[in-house]
Amino acid sequence: MSKVSEFTVLGKDTRRQDGIAKVTGREVFSSDISLPRMLHARVLKSPYPHAHVKSIDSSKIKDLDVVVLTPGEVPDIKFCPRLVSTPDSTYKDWKVLTDKPRYVGEAIGAVAADSEEEAQRALELLEVEYEPLSAVFDAEEAMKKQAIPIHDEIILDEETLKVKNNIGCQVEIEEGDSKKGFEESDIIVERTYRTNRRYHNQLECKSVVVRPEPNGGITVWSTTQTLHNTRILLHEIFGIPMGKIRVIKVPLGGSFGSSIQVNPVVPIAVALALKSKRPVKLSYTREEDLHDHCSYQMIFRLKLGASKEGKLTSGHLDAILDIGGHQIQAYPLLGCVVGWWVSLYKLPHKSYMGKAVYTNKVPSCAFRGYGNPQITWAVETLMDELAEKLGIDPLDFRLKNYIGEGDLFWGQGPSVKSIIQSCGVEEILTRGAEMVDWYNRPKAASQRGRYRRGIGMGRGYHTSSAGAPVPGTVIDFGGAFLKLNEDGTFDYITALMDHGGGTIDAHAKIIAEELCVPLDNINVVNADTGTTVYDVCTHASRGIYSGGGAALKVAMQVKEKLRDFAGKMLDGYPHALKFRRDMERGQGVVYAEGIEGREVTFKEIAYNARHKNWGTIAAVDSYRQPSCPPHFTGYFVEVEVDTWTGKVRPVQVVAGADIGTVINPKLAAGQIHGGFAQGWSMTVNEDTPYMPKEGDLWNHGFIADYKIPTTKDMPPLEDFQVFFANTYEPTGPFGAKGIGEGALNPVAGTVANAIQNAIGVRFYDLPITKDMILSALKEKEDTQ
Amino acid sequence: VSINKFNTHIIPTRFEYHTPTTITDAVELLKKYENNKILAGGTDLIPKMKQRLLEPRHLINLKKIPELRGIEEKGDKIHIGALTKLREIERSKIIQKKLPLLHDCIRSIGSVQIRNMGTIGGNVCNASPAADGALGLIALDAITHIVGLNLEKEVKIDKLFMGPGHTILSPSELVSNFTVRIPEEGSGGCFISVGRTSLDISTISIAVQMTVKRSRIQVCRVALGSVAPTPLRLPDVEEHLTDRKVTNVLIETAAEMASDGIKPITDIRGTAEYRKQAAIGMAKEAITTAWEKAKEAER
Repeated sequence: MSKVSEFTVLGKDTRRQDGIAKVTGREVFSSDISLPRMLHARVLKSPYPHAHVKSIDSSKIKDLDVVVLTPGEVPDIKFCPRLVSTPDSTYKDWKVLTDKPRYVGEAIGAVAADSEEEAQRALELLEVEYEPLSAVFDAEEAMKKQAIPIHDEIILDEETLKVKNNIGCQVEIEEGDSKKGFEESDIIVERTYRTNRRYHNQLECKSVVVRPEPNGGITVWSTTQTLHNTRILLHEIFGIPMGKIRVIKVPLGGSFGSSIQVNPVVPIAVALALKSKRPVKLSYTREEDLHDHCSYQMIFRLKLGASKEGKLTSGHLDAILDIGGHQIQAYPLLGCVVGWWVSLYKLPHKSYMGKAVYTNKVPSCAFRGYGNPQITWAVETLMDELAEKLGIDPLDFRLKNYIGEGDLFWGQGPSVKSIIQSCGVEEILTRGAEMVDWYNRPKAASQRGRYRRGIGMGRGYHTSSAGAPVPGTVIDFGGAFLKLNEDGTFDYITALMDHGGGTIDAHAKIIAEELCVPLDNINVVNADTGTTVYDVCTHASRGIYSGGGAALKVAMQVKEKLRDFAGKMLDGYPHALKFRRDMERGQGVVYAEGIEGREVTFKEIAYNARHKNWGTIAAVDSYRQPSCPPHFTGYFVEVEVDTWTGKVRPVQVVAGADIGTVINPKLAAGQIHGGFAQGWSMTVNEDTPYMPKEGDLWNHGFIADYKIPTTKDMPPLEDFQVFFANTYEPTGPFGAKGIGEGALNPVAGTVANAIQNAIGVRFYDLPITKDMILSALKEKEDTQ
Repeated sequence: VSINKFNTHIIPTRFEYHTPTTITDAVELLKKYENNKILAGGTDLIPKMKQRLLEPRHLINLKKIPELRGIEEKGDKIHIGALTKLREIERSKIIQKKLPLLHDCIRSIGSVQIRNMGTIGGNVCNASPAADGALGLIALDAITHIVGLNLEKEVKIDKLFMGPGHTILSPSELVSNFTVRIPEEGSGGCFISVGRTSLDISTISIAVQMTVKRSRIQVCRVALGSVAPTPLRLPDVEEHLTDRKVTNVLIETAAEMASDGIKPITDIRGTAEYRKQAAIGMAKEAITTAWEKAKEAER
């Protein structure tokens, strides 16, 4: 069912409210903020991957006008910087500054001075005495008996836990009897996969400005995906009453999940501001940022069984997550990894063991897809292999087994279950197959010569929030505030953050659609924690489904009030009145159909309401979405492998997406282009390897050696086709679902399958670099 | 380098900044302040100072010396001032027409933004084994003009490099310009580089320039980048190809020789084995393409 044709604003490309400010460089990000008497901070970082800090001697700078902060001066509180899960799922092992650094780059101190240069010079004069400890850089090594313990004790829900074998947490699940399932399988394939550890490379490095206020409170401008969780965490650490902590919404220069947690710069700057009683700015350099966060590296042992008719029978997954030096959201992720896996294809029997393991590396956090790109790569690679062994076309094999409408879905983990109510998988796969002439693709490894082309396909999904009919371990609700202004326009306020994808514009369109007003009449007001109701965080591709759901809820409440006021003015029955958009007058209009002269604009309603003292028409409310609808995606990619250099390039891309009602087609397609570029790079390029001797990143944090693709690495636009399935999500605002993460999730599997189709080699490690391709081709040649 | 020092954002060290307007003044300043670094485009120098790989006390900015900049065709030679912006060379009709190989090499350096700032002298004197501009000049057998106090000398460009970041220049000398002889009729060249993305320092690169007379290679120069401590010219391969008629067998053996002749290391951009293996295919392609272009030009 589609309602696209009935919409006036939705489904049309519209100009973004923040567009002009962004393209003219006038948008102010947290790293642009400058306040009078502001100090600039620099962080003292551990050069060792694992050590005790014995002392920090600041005597050389005691005569300088510099504020120094050491671990002894910050609250002695262990916390978790991410507050999206319930307390029983939130493991705490962080401190504002540590005297036991667990990775190269971990903050052990900080200085603040009048300029960044002065602060840097002071930093270099600090003398630190360390007791270096041995370190471990591989998750499997870290679990061995002889490995050094990275954490002795961590906290879960106020209870202290002892850490054994560096395993931070684990999840074990079995549904059905997987052993029996394998016994009944005609064919079983088992493989081990190892993913890369990618850096987000968001445009804006982590940054914060903190101003201490005369009332003992603080005002905070920071890179964050969640205003309210930032306030809650700062309250927990520093004990400042929440009403005196004001976290202001500032545009975010990209994030990809790296600011779901409160970034380490934030509490450090708060501590410096409280100590110095002056505003403090702390902006990480790119090199510090690269030592601050990365994706989770995962090692999977995946086993799938199928009947000879091509039905999956059983599955087992062992997942080892390399989480680095601290936990950010390892436990919920272990639940998601199994959720992502079992919600792709129907498995009558399945078992899972997931372990999150500490290593002396940069802490891992969510990165667009939250483990889904990793496991989908493994599953989609194995599905291809299984299909090959069964002699079934891989696309047909997927169609036989996918989870779709009416099926139980628990992508966001075992505590977030709901039933799928809209699904475009079949449409995506059949239409995409036609567009690339799938069934006539080359036979694997059939080509000779220098350049070899191959076509691969893969599919996936992501959730649109973590909603469900009953509460689970993931907090997920938002809220919105909408009021009618005296000229018939509206002010819309939400705590929900826009990462740059145009989420808030989508909210404005949803409101404009519901209230029948021109889009320009919806004014988005940037607000703060004091003037908004709680929103958990912009993550899980929930911006439109959840945030837009909240916007729609308050718009409907406002609409009822408009109806009542108009009823009084028109001497009509409120419930019988209708709404329409009047572009000539630039107004929404309420009218009694068929009765001439019985109509009134929103402006006239507001005018009347003010002069007759009826009050302001406004609504504020929270909204919990009832379901967790997956948005589905499918990719068909043609690649060309240069067998002389090992370089692989994308020749053409066909991408289909089921996102329910499309709110802004160009922005939605943009998400897919970006998702493909990021997934492409995940497949063939990105990683953050370590130098075991020094314990630091091999690239030392320099992006000159952390390459991401440019437009030149992507296919020409005419060879990149995007289409949207014709679906409608009954629980979504006007039928809409998410797109952000599903745009990325199937890419790695698709590209890997295309490479296999071109050269006949399967890779089980990411990234599949030019070095690996060339060496595999040589090996193949030598053995032939 | 310490994690608490390096970055690409701040230069906390103090230095003096000098802006001479003549070559003589520049050379005098270089002589006077031994602990100096020359600022040309700054695209390598400034990041290196932020990374604290270089901490010069004196920065000698050469941008205000007009005679160091520009492209000029004189007789059978082309002169390129050391301070000429890479983008200027890329867009020069003279270079595009007369030195297409150099044009291809320059176009491969960094991004447009980098090429708008960076200079050919900087690309060369930074002495990176991966410098694409240097590689082109080597394959074109360019002459480097060096100026010091009461001193002027010329060296062939492939003799300029000592190792990564090191040239034969003393701290009081500067490169004023490069001279390239315009290749004769029947010449062709080819430059290829492989990187991790299209905007990357070469993992490995090759430049081949040759002149063909009566279907035989008369002159040939082969140079590879990122395969040794300096940009590497391979005389053995050149000799093998010279005075020969090109056949598949000749190209295959030349390519194998090129691969055998390089001494790559494993670094973050690629493994030594990769470079050895990729060199074969790249040499095949570069020699074949240069040969085809030269033959085309001979007609």
